[in-house]
Amino acid sequence: MEESPENLSSNYDRCPVFMKANREMKRLFVGGLGQGISETDLQNQFSRFGEVSNVEIITRKDDQGNSQKVFAYVNIKITEADLKKCMSILNKTKWKGGTLQIQLAKESFLHRLAQEREEAKAKKEKPTTVNTNLLEKMGGVDFHMKAVPGTEVPGHKNWVVSKFGRVLPVLHLKNQHKHKISFVSLKPGAVAFSLTLNNIMKYDPSKYCHNLKKISENLTETIPITDLTWELEGGNDPMSKKRRGEFSDFPFPPQKIKKVQKSKGPMESKVSDISLRTNEVMANNKSAQPTTAHRKAPSTAAPSKSLHVPSSGSQKPKHVVFHTSDFEIIWNKSRMSDDDIDSEEELKMMIAKEENLQKTRHSLVNESENDLFEVVRDDFKSDTHRLRSSTSSGNDDGCDSSDTDEIIAMKKNTGKVKNSAESPQPEKPISMRSSFKKRKPSNDCVEVQNTKSNKESALGHEGKFLNPKFPPDSNTSDSEESEEDEEYKALMKNCPRVNLTLADLENLAGNHQKVPGNDESDGAQNTSHCKFNTTSKSPKTSNDLRSGRQCICPEEILASLLEEENTYSKQKPEETTLKPKFQAFKGIGGLFAKESGDKTLKETVDFNNINEQSRSSLKHEEPNRVFIENGSKCANGSSNKLTSCQAAKKVNSPNHIQSPKRQSTCESQSHKVVSSTCFDKESQNPLSCPFPLEGKKSLSISAKSHKIDSDRDTCHWPKSRKAPEKEDIDSSYITSLEKPPNVSLREDPQKSTATFSLSVSDASCMSAKDKHAEDNQKRLAALAVWQKAREVQKKLVHNALANLDGHSENKKTHIVFASDNESETEETSTHEQNCPGKELVKESMDKASGKLFDSSDDEESDSKEDSTRFNIKPQFEGRAGQKLMELQSHFGSDERFRMDSRFLEKLNENQTNEDELAAERKQTLNVVQSVLNINLSNPTSKGSVAVKKFKDIVRYDPTKHDHVIYERKQEDKEKESKAKRKKKREEAEKLPEVSQDMYHNITTDLKEIFQHMKNTDEKEEDTPSNEDCGREETEEISNAATLTSGAEQTSGFTFSFFDSDTKDIKEDTYRTEPVKRGKIVYQEDPRFQDSSSEEEEEKEEEEVAKEADHRRPSPGYGMGRVVRLMGIFLVWKSDAAADLNTSWGTLANQVLTYSGVVWEVVLAEILGKPEQVVSLWIVGRNIKKLKGS
Amino acid sequence: MRPLTEEETRVMFEKIAKYIGENLQLLVDRPDGTYCFRLHNDRVYYVSEMILKLAANISGEKLVSLGTCFGKFTKTHKFRLHVTALDYLAPYAKYKVWIKPGAEQSFLYGNHVLKSGLGRITENTSQYQGVVVYSMADIPLGFGVAAKSTQDCRKVDPMTIVVFHQADIGEYVRHEETLT
Repeated sequence: MEESPENLSSNYDRCPVFMKANREMKRLFVGGLGQGISETDLQNQFSRFGEVSNVEIITRKDDQGNSQKVFAYVNIKITEADLKKCMSILNKTKWKGGTLQIQLAKESFLHRLAQEREEAKAKKEKPTTVNTNLLEKMGGVDFHMKAVPGTEVPGHKNWVVSKFGRVLPVLHLKNQHKHKISFVSLKPGAVAFSLTLNNIMKYDPSKYCHNLKKISENLTETIPITDLTWELEGGNDPMSKKRRGEFSDFPFPPQKIKKVQKSKGPMESKVSDISLRTNEVMANNKSAQPTTAHRKAPSTAAPSKSLHVPSSGSQKPKHVVFHTSDFEIIWNKSRMSDDDIDSEEELKMMIAKEENLQKTRHSLVNESENDLFEVVRDDFKSDTHRLRSSTSSGNDDGCDSSDTDEIIAMKKNTGKVKNSAESPQPEKPISMRSSFKKRKPSNDCVEVQNTKSNKESALGHEGKFLNPKFPPDSNTSDSEESEEDEEYKALMKNCPRVNLTLADLENLAGNHQKVPGNDESDGAQNTSHCKFNTTSKSPKTSNDLRSGRQCICPEEILASLLEEENTYSKQKPEETTLKPKFQAFKGIGGLFAKESGDKTLKETVDFNNINEQSRSSLKHEEPNRVFIENGSKCANGSSNKLTSCQAAKKVNSPNHIQSPKRQSTCESQSHKVVSSTCFDKESQNPLSCPFPLEGKKSLSISAKSHKIDSDRDTCHWPKSRKAPEKEDIDSSYITSLEKPPNVSLREDPQKSTATFSLSVSDASCMSAKDKHAEDNQKRLAALAVWQKAREVQKKLVHNALANLDGHSENKKTHIVFASDNESETEETSTHEQNCPGKELVKESMDKASGKLFDSSDDEESDSKEDSTRFNIKPQFEGRAGQKLMELQSHFGSDERFRMDSRFLEKLNENQTNEDELAAERKQTLNVVQSVLNINLSNPTSKGSVAVKKFKDIVRYDPTKHDHVIYERKQEDKEKESKAKRKKKREEAEKLPEVSQDMYHNITTDLKEIFQHMKNTDEKEEDTPSNEDCGREETEEISNAATLTSGAEQTSGFTFSFFDSDTKDIKEDTYRTEPVKRGKIVYQEDPRFQDSSSEEEEEKEEEEVAKEADHRRPSPGYGMGRVVRLMGIFLVWKSDAAADLNTSWGTLANQVLTYSGVVWEVVLAEILGKPEQVVSLWIVGRNIKKLKGS
Repeated sequence: MRPLTEEETRVMFEKIAKYIGENLQLLVDRPDGTYCFRLHNDRVYYVSEMILKLAANISGEKLVSLGTCFGKFTKTHKFRLHVTALDYLAPYAKYKVWIKPGAEQSFLYGNHVLKSGLGRITENTSQYQGVVVYSMADIPLGFGVAAKSTQDCRKVDPMTIVVFHQADIGEYVRHEETLT
C-alpha cells in the first residue's frame, strides 16, 4: 500500500525524498504569481515546508497573447502542521510581483487514475487471498494445485482439479426440469440435447472451462430488460402482449445469447440458434444437429417452407416443434429467471406460426413471391394454362356458338333460300293458282278430293260457290305446301312469313276467285259451268271441261307428288315442267272436254241419277262445244304453239317425250285422250270421278293396257260415250292396283282406288263389274311393269325437268288457249303435229314415242342411250385419264390445243416419291424404335388410317350439289305427310257441315278401330271397302265418319256427289289410325277453347279438336297429337313402321277453309323412322264462324 | 438437301427424345400428312411432303431453308437443337420447367436458370434431363437441361443453377442471322 504512491510519478524517483510518516501528498494551488516565476522558484519556495514532487505552472493568456493569469499546482508532501504553516506564511504574501494565494487543490486526475488502478489491483488480489484464507481456514487445502486437470483432490471426495488448476467440486445437478427435458426429448431434433441434459446430473468441472465464471456472470451481469420484466397473465392477443411490453418484432439482445453461450457451452448453442438468426451461423458451427439446420431453414426461410405448396403442410408442424423445443431448452437453461424468456419464445413461436400461415396463404396466392419453387407432376397444367384453356374453351364455346350460329345462319340462309325459292312460288301460284288448288285437292285424298273436285270444278263451277272458302285455303295450302315441301322448319320459324304469305295467298286467292275464269277458262265458261253445276250438280264435269289448266294443274300436281316422293327440289321444276305437258294434254282434254264432261256427268249421275247424268252431260256437252268452238279459232294457233312448246319440252326431258306419245295415242283415240286427261287429273285426285279416270289412264297407258281399256271403253261407250266410263273403270282398277304399289303417293291409295273403282263400277254399270276380274289381273301385271317404268321415268323426268322452269309459264299460257279453243279434230291434228315435232326434236329420244305413256320402254332405251352417252372415253379412264381430261378442259375442244397423253406428267415420279417417302418413314420409325426401345405397332397403318379419316371429313356445303348426299331426305316424306295432314285437316274442317249425329254415334267404333287398327287390318278393310263401297255407300261413310269426323264431313259434304271420295277418305283414315301418339305440346288458345272435344281420344287433341271438333276430327290425327302455338297447331303423329311405308304423298297438303278461316295443316312424316312426326299448322281467324257453320 | 443417314437420324432422335420421349414417334408418324427430315447445310429440317416437293425445284445452292429447322449437326456430328423446333417439341414435352417472371428475361438472354428463378418443375425430373422451359404463363421459352434433379432442386441454395440453357426464343432476336 505505501509503496504504490512512490510509483506514481517519476519525479519521486528523481527527487530526494524525505520520507516522513506523516507527510501526505497534497496538491496545492498557488495563484497570483508573477510573469517571471519559474518552477524552480516555486520548488525552492515550498521546499521549506515539505518535499515538492512536482510543480506545474499554468499561464492564461488573452486573445492577444498577453498573459492574464499565472498560477501553478504544486505537489508536495507535507504534514498537516507544515501545511498550515505554509498557508499562513505564504498566503497573501507578495512574492515577485504578485500576491500569493495558496489553496489546497484537488488531486490531479492522473494521480487519481493511478491510485484507482492500484486499488483495483488490490481488490483482485484480496479475494484470492480471502479465499485462500477461507479455504485454509475451512480445510486448509490449497485450491491452486499444480496438477493435471481432472485429478481428484486427495482427501476430498468429488473435488477435482479443473482445467485451470482450480479445485472445484463435481456437481451432481438434480435437474429441476427433468420432466421438461423428457418432454423435449420427445422431439426428434432435441433428443441429443435432452440426453446431455439428463447426463448433466454429474457436472465435472475438469471437462469444462470457465464454467464458474460464466455462471457467475450470467447470474450477475447483463440481464436483459425482458428478464427484469414479469409476465402478465393474459392471452396471446396483441393488447396483452403490449401490456407485457412484448412486441412481435422485439429484438432479442444478442449479447445475452453470447454470454449464455460462453457460460453454458453446448446447451447455449441451441439457445442461440433459437434466439437469434444472426447467431445462426454460430449455432451451425457449434451444433451439428439436424435440428439446428431445420431451425435455420424455418426461421430464415419460413416463407420458403410455406411456399412449398405441397410440403408446406408437413414443414409447418416441424417448424412449430422446433420452436417449442427451442423454447423449452432455453427455459431449462435459463432456469430461474427464464420465465420471461419462455414468454418470448412463445411469442416468437406464435409469430412464426402466424407468419407461416400467412406465408402459406401467401404462397398459395402468390407463388412468384415465394423463394421456393414448385414441383409439379408430369401431367401438370398450370392454372394459367387452365385459365387459358378455360378462356380458350370459352372462346371455343364462343366459336362453337358462333359456329352454331353460323350453322343456324346457314340453315336460315338455306331456309331463306328455300323461302326465296318458295317466295317465287307464291308468284307461281298466282300464275298457277289453279294448279296449286288442284294440287291440294290431289293431296287431300278423301274429303279434300270431294272438296277438291269441288274446287277444281269450283275453279270453273263451284269456284264461285266455294271460292270464298277455297281460294284462301288453296292459297294457304299452296304456300304451305311449297314452303313446307321446301322447308318445313323454315316455315316453323317463319310463322309471320307464313302468315304474310297466307295473306298474300288469300289475296291471290281472292284474285283467283275473281279471275278463275282467266286462269282456266274465261268467266263465260265459268258462268256456263256454274249453270251446269247448278243444273246438273256435277261440278266435276264442268271442271274437266273447263279447266284445261285446272285439270292440267292437278295432273301436274299428281305428277309432282309422285316426283316429290323422289326429291323435293326436283319436284317444283318437275311440276312446272309437268304442267306444261299436262297443259298440252289439258288442251286436248279441253278439246275433248265435252266427252270427259259427259263421262264425269255420267258418273255423278250414276250416283245421283242416270237421267240427270244424261241431261247434265248433254248440257255440258253443249256449252263445252260452244266454248270449244269459240276457242277453236284460237285452238289452231294454240295447238301450234303447244306443239312447239311440247317439242321444246321433249327436247329437254324424256318425260315430255312420253307425254306427246300419250297425246298421240290419245289423239288416235280421241276418247282415250280425253280420258287420259281425265285420268291424269284423276290420278292426282283419285276421288273425283274424272280424276280417277285420269289416274287410271295414266296407269293404263303406261301399262299398255290402254288399248284394251279403250276397246272396252268403246264397247261400253255406246250408251252415251263409249270409252270414258269403262276406261274410268279400268283405270280405276288399275289405279287401285297401281296405287298400293305406289305407296309413296298416298297412304291409302288402295282404298281410294278401290273406292274409285267401286264408284266407277257403280256408275259404269254391270258390264264393268264383269270385266273387273280380268281387268284386275291385267292391271296387276301392268302395275308391276308400270311401277318399274315409272321409277325410271321419274328419274329421267327429274333430270330433264331440272332446267325447264322457265318454259312452264309460257307453256301454261299456251295451253290455256289451246285447251279452251281447240276442237276435237283440231286437237287431234295438233297432237299429231306435236308428236312428230317432238320426235324430230328429240331425235334419238324415243323410238316408240308414238304412245305417250308407253314410254317405259322408250325411257329404258333412253336411259341406255344416256348411259352410253356418258360412258367415259377410254383415253380418259383411270387416274391419268382424269388428269388428261382436266388438262384438255383448260383448252376446250380446239384440236390445235388439244392436250394428249404426251402432256401428262409421269405418275411414276409421284409414286416413286411417295414410295421413297414411305420407305424413309419406315426407316425413321425403325430408328425411333431403336432409340426409344419401344415397339411401334403398325405405325404406318395407323398413320394411313388416320389420314384417311382426316381426309374423309367433309365440310357440308349446302351450295354444292354433291353434298345432297349428306342431306336427310326425310323432308320429302314430311311433305307428303304434311299434305296428308292438310287434307285431313281440311276434311276435318269441312266436317262441321256434315251431320254431327253420325259422328257421335260412331265414336265408340273409332276407339275400337284406333286401338286395334294395324296395317294388315287396314288392307283387309280396304279390299272389302272397295267391294262394298259400290253397294253401301252410307255404311262406308258412316265408318269413315266413325273413324274420323273428317271422313264424315267429307262424306256428308260431297257424299252425294262422290262415293269414291268418301272411300278414299276412309282409306286415309285407316292409314292414319295405326299412328302412335307422340308428345304433345299444347297451348290453349282462348279462341279455340270454346268448342267441346269429344272425338279425339287424346287430351291435347281434344283441345285441338274442340276448335275444329264440329268439322274436324281429323281422321289421321286421332292418333296424332296436336300442339298449338301462337295460334299454330302442331300435330305430332307417330306411325308404325308399316304405315311409314305407305305413301303419304297423295295426302301431302290440305287446306281447309271455313268462311274466312284458314286452317293450315302441315304433315311432316318421316318414313325412315318408326315415328312419324306430323305437324299441323292451323291459323284460325274466325273460329266462331266455324262454330256457327 | 438429302435425307438423313441412319446414323444421323439416330443421333438426332436421341437428342429429341430427351425432350419429348416416346412422343417422338408422333413427329415421325403424323396423322395429318407425311413429314420427313431433310439435311441441308448440316441443318436438319422437318418438312411436309408438299413443301418437300416444292423445294425440290430449287437448287441446293440457292436453297436457304425449307420447312422447319430442328437443329444442326456440329462438326463433330453431334446434334444441336435449335429454338425453331420449339413449336414442334413443346406440345410433346414430358418434363417442363416454369421460371418466374423475374427470371424470364435472364433466361431469354441466354443465361442458365437459377433456383431462385425456378417457379415450378415437373416432378421426377432427373438430372440432365432435357426440359422445355416455360414462363409462368405457360409460354414455351426454350430448351434446357436439368442441372439438378427435382429432389436436389429442393435442397440447393437459391443461387445454384438448376437448368442449363440450351436454346431460347430470345435467339430469334439475338441470332436472327443464323436461325434458319
